[in-house]
Amino acid sequence: MENQMAKNTMSPRRRIVNILVHVLLGILAIIWVLPIVWIVLTSFRAEPGAYTTTFLPQGYTLNNYIKLLTDRNVLNFPKMFTNTLIISIISCVISTFFVLSVAYSLSRMRFKFRKPYMNMAMILGLFPGFMTMIAQYFILKSMGLTEGASIRIGLIVVYCACTGLGFQISKGFFDTIPRSIDEAAIIDGATQWQVFTRITLPLSKPIVIYTVMTAFIAPWVDFIFAKVLCRANADQFTVAIGLWNMLQKEYIYQWYTCFAAGAVLISIPIAILFLYMQRFYVEGMSGAVKG
Amino acid sequence: MATLSLRHIQKIYPMRDEDKKERKKQKKKGEETIEKTYSLKVTEEGVVAVDDFNLEIADREFIVIVGPSGCGKSTTMRMVAGLEDITRGELYINGKLMNDVDPKDRDIAMVFQNYALYPHMSVKQNLEFPLELRKVPKDEMEQKVQWAAEILGITPYLHRKPKALSGGQRQRVAIGRAIVRDPQVLLMDEPLSNLDAKLRNQMRAEIIKLRQRLNATFIYVTHDQTEAMTLGDRIVIMRDGDVQQIGTPTEVFDHPVNLFVAGFIGMPQMNLFDGELVLRDGKYAVRCDDAEIVLSEDKQKNLADRNAQPQKVVIGVRPEHITLDKVEGAMIEGVVDVSEMMGSSVHLHVNVGGKDCIIIAPRLDLEGGGLADGSKVRFTFAPNAVHVFDPETEKNLEFA
Amino acid sequence: MKEDRITVLNALRNGDLFTRLSAVFMGAGMLGHRQIVKGVLVLLLEVAFFVFMATSGLHNLGMLPSLGTEAQGEVWNEAKQIYEYTAGDNSQQILLAGVVTCFVIVGFVALWILQMRHSYKLQKLIEDGKEVPTLREDIKNLFNGNLHMTLMTLPCIGILIFNVVPLVYMISMAFTTYSKEGEHLILFDWDGINQFLRVLNMNGNIGRQFWHVLGWTIIWAVFATFLNYILGMVLAMVINRKDTKGKAFWRFCFVLSIAVPQFVTLMIMNIMLQPSGAINVLLMNAGLITEPIPFWTNTMLARITIIVINLWVGIPYTMLQVTGILQNIPGELYEAARMDGAGPVKVFFKITLPYMLFVTTPYLIASFVGNINNFNIIYLLSGGGPTMVGDTAGQTDLLVTWLYKLTIDQQYYNLGAVIGIMTFVILTIVTLVTYRNSSSYKNEEAFM
Repeated sequence: MENQMAKNTMSPRRRIVNILVHVLLGILAIIWVLPIVWIVLTSFRAEPGAYTTTFLPQGYTLNNYIKLLTDRNVLNFPKMFTNTLIISIISCVISTFFVLSVAYSLSRMRFKFRKPYMNMAMILGLFPGFMTMIAQYFILKSMGLTEGASIRIGLIVVYCACTGLGFQISKGFFDTIPRSIDEAAIIDGATQWQVFTRITLPLSKPIVIYTVMTAFIAPWVDFIFAKVLCRANADQFTVAIGLWNMLQKEYIYQWYTCFAAGAVLISIPIAILFLYMQRFYVEGMSGAVKG
Repeated sequence: MATLSLRHIQKIYPMRDEDKKERKKQKKKGEETIEKTYSLKVTEEGVVAVDDFNLEIADREFIVIVGPSGCGKSTTMRMVAGLEDITRGELYINGKLMNDVDPKDRDIAMVFQNYALYPHMSVKQNLEFPLELRKVPKDEMEQKVQWAAEILGITPYLHRKPKALSGGQRQRVAIGRAIVRDPQVLLMDEPLSNLDAKLRNQMRAEIIKLRQRLNATFIYVTHDQTEAMTLGDRIVIMRDGDVQQIGTPTEVFDHPVNLFVAGFIGMPQMNLFDGELVLRDGKYAVRCDDAEIVLSEDKQKNLADRNAQPQKVVIGVRPEHITLDKVEGAMIEGVVDVSEMMGSSVHLHVNVGGKDCIIIAPRLDLEGGGLADGSKVRFTFAPNAVHVFDPETEKNLEFA
Repeated sequence: MKEDRITVLNALRNGDLFTRLSAVFMGAGMLGHRQIVKGVLVLLLEVAFFVFMATSGLHNLGMLPSLGTEAQGEVWNEAKQIYEYTAGDNSQQILLAGVVTCFVIVGFVALWILQMRHSYKLQKLIEDGKEVPTLREDIKNLFNGNLHMTLMTLPCIGILIFNVVPLVYMISMAFTTYSKEGEHLILFDWDGINQFLRVLNMNGNIGRQFWHVLGWTIIWAVFATFLNYILGMVLAMVINRKDTKGKAFWRFCFVLSIAVPQFVTLMIMNIMLQPSGAINVLLMNAGLITEPIPFWTNTMLARITIIVINLWVGIPYTMLQVTGILQNIPGELYEAARMDGAGPVKVFFKITLPYMLFVTTPYLIASFVGNINNFNIIYLLSGGGPTMVGDTAGQTDLLVTWLYKLTIDQQYYNLGAVIGIMTFVILTIVTLVTYRNSSSYKNEEAFM
């Protein structure tokens, strides 16, 4: 270390600053990583309960995971998992279509309703989301989508219905694709639909992936609307409600370590997806297609 | 077989409400309205980008539309392509009204300035795309792609992505994509302006060759008068949305209808002197300084036909039509500021009564191959190469 | 030009028989002008509308002014010797049905206008001797020139039914007595702006809480937005320094926390900071404190904790978003500053920050709005607590979480709706003011 430092022609002052910066980054990194490490450790903890007298677990076990994945009596996690998976796959397909359609129309087509639509989207975005929740519930109820298995349909409808308002990032990306590429395609004989599907979408892979993933993740992390819609219908619960319930007074002692295990289980795929799409996310932010 | 006819074509961009408000505000403040967009006409309806464009194009003709940026040349081409709506007037291709026909049904192809290749497709896929959309059978498609690739010499790159090509290669692919379906009309929008000078000359030659191999009618837009002169059968010169002159390269070079055309066509630019048109013994002559030059026969006739009266004029002479002379008499005098050695000739920047003028002198005519800065020169014009313009209307008096 | 513009008025004035007929029999103009299928469809829609109005629409509208009068009653049935319940009016359903009916009527009027214009357009096409598009061409055009109609219809319907209608419904609820207070859960009435007055009145209990919550909401949003923004930017710059080793590793450490779903981390944080949670245990074991720190029960501490945890959640996001933009700052700006002898702090405040503010104002506004509406962080961390006795809002409640409590927990629906509207008003003002004053609005070319 000393040697390496000496090789670089750094003044002593700069070297001290540099060491300080690295120490600071180290401390910050520990602060950011520690809670994650702790939850992973907790998921393997042998002793139950949310509160222990020691920071590190006293014994390690895999039972938390086994219990989580096999216990179907108290909190049926496997069922919740399949529920969420089905909902998220379907709503992911629909809302991706919605978002990209709206974004493309606003970016490439010119029609009277365009500006009003964008203004309306901005205004609607200023209302607190929960304000509409009750009314949405009543509307779903009048459609008969709040009982039994149709709750799932209700959830899908709610997760998809308003995604047309979240077009901004995709539109921003589409806007960076040079117009002349579209025009070339139109002269080559493409209809607008063909321009959309054969030119714009393949050119926008990063943003398509980004949209698909955000849409897919949404049902896994929403607990509030799912709670309102599912109420006591335990067999329609999604993972998020399940995890939430595990921390309620009646379950927390028995289920806290299982909660940790569940958190780890759903975090792993989401983390992998996220780390993979991170560069697309950054690219999407800065826009990157050149002709 | 494709003839085009553009009749009274007009393009007006409606003003957006914000622009209107802006104009009102400025008027209220009493400020002068500053037109950001050059000096286009603005009417009630909006900004007039192209006004009353009339042109009949023969089959297989090569038309070049030329003018400074913002003159409406690209807009005109885009209206022919169908990328812009035609506000007023009619566009016929082969006698059929095309105003409301989709671009894909006009049987046209277009080459864009920035190539506009599809970045996610290989060169081959780029070439196949227009054929695929027209549902051309597989083997015919293969054949046509081969043909186009060979003509343009891009066969070795067929499997590369556009990103892996140089600018010149990309432009070839773009042209290939346009010719692969053998369109009736080929539109080119400044296709060479993204290339460096050497490549540009080379591609220009290729376009001339290409033209002989295709049956298409060409419309070519450029701001470069050299391209216009070398490529065009006829040249359309535009300015601020108006057509200034339409004619063969020789016509527009030899007989510019106004000062703008005279200045725009020809490199280096035409020299302009203040002078007078005089009638001497029933013959027209121009007076500049003390020199008087009697005009050539055809010019006499043109001026007489229009019954031109003696008046103040702007005299225009191209640098290559000025002759240096040592003979005393009807001569104009100047002092050499700079002399540029161009190889076979020398460009002399001469100060004539405070104005700069350029003279191209063959080196053989100059003793020792040049002239020292500050030396005096005397020169005269060729009587058949003098243009007289009205200083007010800027029109050429021969054709006014 | 003006005389033959396609407007409803011109259609009525200059229309032929069919066009005028469409004013009554919608679609007649299309039927008479060679567009049979479309015409039939529009006519069917008209019939459907009138059937709807006759069967329920008119009734819905009629009930709207009173919102129902019949309370659910008990009637003694002599024969069966039991109390029987008579179905009363359900105001909430009446209101919803009324709102929906209003939307249907608006939609019908829009359809009427469109079909009038369309009929007139067809008529003029025929008069000018032009081709009338066939159904086939129309459908083809839906994938070409009119692609936006194809693409946007479904999303728009979704937004209309699940966002606009609910919003209007909730807004109208703010003007009623729909609340658990006074037993108005089934039958309620219009109440004018009383609830608004109640909320704005500083002397009343609800009003006092409102101003209190509003104050904290704004403090929270300002701190959360700007601290995250500046610290995230500093972190990004520190990592991107020329001399920093292992850039990718540091970045990974911070990005990892985004990858874990937010609600999971928040719940874990909540548990970790409980009196017997991991943090207190760690500190006590280390002998740094003897008593657990009351993270969630002391107002001041709870607020600070929330802001700090939000930093933990938000800084990596900012870092990620800002990295790309930071690298786009023209290098000459820095060089010029260094030539002038500016130190790193001065460079940050004179060059980096103004540039970033210029580029990211829209992002800042969005994150400010997001923070005001940040439900998860409060609900999952402190649950709004600590709460004073007799209050519905806790000390750390934001307007949104209070809105949630008022509607879901307390069932004070009308108050909840008022709070929602107030939030919207505040956000609108903030957005407009910042946007108007932002340099990217005033001067678009300052840095370019």
